[in-house]
Amino acid sequence: MNNRAGLLSTLTAIILFIVLESLSILLLVENSVVQRFRILGTVRTAQAWVWTRTSDIHYYFNLRSENEQLAEENRQLREQLDRYAATARRIDSLSVEEGPDFIWIGATVIKNTVNRQRNHLIIDRGRRDGVEPGMGVVTSRGVVGIVGAVSNHYAYVFSLLGTGQSVSAKLAASGAFGPMVWPGGASDRMLLQEIPVHIQVAPGDTVLTSGYSTIYPPDIPLGSVVGTKVSKGSSQELTVALFEEFRSLHSVYVVKNNRQPEIEELYEQVP
Amino acid sequence: MNKSHSILFFVLVFLLQLVISDFLHLGPWVTVCLLPFMILQIPLSRRPHVVMLSAFGLGLLLDFLSAGALGLNAFAAVMAAAPRRFLYRLLVNRDRQDKTEIPTLRSAGNAKYIKYLLALTAIYVIAFVLLDCVSFRPVGFIIVRILASTVVSTALGILLAISFQHQH
Repeated sequence: MNNRAGLLSTLTAIILFIVLESLSILLLVENSVVQRFRILGTVRTAQAWVWTRTSDIHYYFNLRSENEQLAEENRQLREQLDRYAATARRIDSLSVEEGPDFIWIGATVIKNTVNRQRNHLIIDRGRRDGVEPGMGVVTSRGVVGIVGAVSNHYAYVFSLLGTGQSVSAKLAASGAFGPMVWPGGASDRMLLQEIPVHIQVAPGDTVLTSGYSTIYPPDIPLGSVVGTKVSKGSSQELTVALFEEFRSLHSVYVVKNNRQPEIEELYEQVP
Repeated sequence: MNKSHSILFFVLVFLLQLVISDFLHLGPWVTVCLLPFMILQIPLSRRPHVVMLSAFGLGLLLDFLSAGALGLNAFAAVMAAAPRRFLYRLLVNRDRQDKTEIPTLRSAGNAKYIKYLLALTAIYVIAFVLLDCVSFRPVGFIIVRILASTVVSTALGILLAISFQHQH
């Protein structure tokens, strides 16, 4: 009982303290122009500080949805760009077919390995999103891998960082192309092989996807040349520093080549 | 000293504060504050609510009569009055047995009394000076004014305490 009375007394004392101090400030603001200016100025500064922090916190917690929006916008722009490129090519060949060569599906990496001989990723898009085995997975800074298996909502991706995986790549300067493979070890280095010895290569030369495979779109930047050596006496083997940081992969695109069935059909016609 | 003498002493200190506020100008560096001493003179048996209301009334009256910014002394006085009992028990009497109604240099001991007065005065002066000149005076000025005002006001409070004790 005494405790309750004591608590009540303390509470009323605190309330009285707040009331009296507020009243003093109010009197001060009402009766002194100088004090009013200072106090309101201080209040405004405090408000601005709180608003700025609140805005920062709000912005931070919205980053995820902002990222998703940007990724979606990026995907649409890529498709649009691809459609324009396809249209431009067809105008050259007097064709009037419509539709992009590639369809881009935005996805987020939810699991990723980089320190095994055969690495893989899991992405949060699956069969219901239009993802199928054999589709390529890329980012704006390189090729990530190939879809190996799909469930309704997820897809298993064979990472390019896997022995046995390769991507057809070309040098931007000369157009010389060859398979680019991962030799194992560092996750930021690959080897571009079978470049003829007569091709002049300089450190810093950019390497792009060639577009000769039906999986990946052409001209995606992959990396830059950091070293060359002659291999088997007839070709060069270039060490390429990848643009993509595989250890921090987050947003990726699954690409579907709309022309792939047509190309495969063509192969089947050849005896 | 009986109750009427105590009240008379209290009124005289308030008048002294009024005279100091209105006529004794020690420059911008020092503000003499006797209200903390007056808050200390309120009997210890009074509840915190009464002490805060008394301090508020005294501060407001001083603001009104000294033609200062209305609310300035009232704000600082409530700020000093609120932790009065806590400070007394922390610095003077730890056994929570209030043997005296009004602590004096003799009853509390010189050192403890001075610490107690210094703490109340410092709280009062800090609240007063910050509200009076924060955001338009340099920090250095504010710190020097707080230190100088606290020292001068505490010294004057000690003199008044000695005088109160002699009359007692």
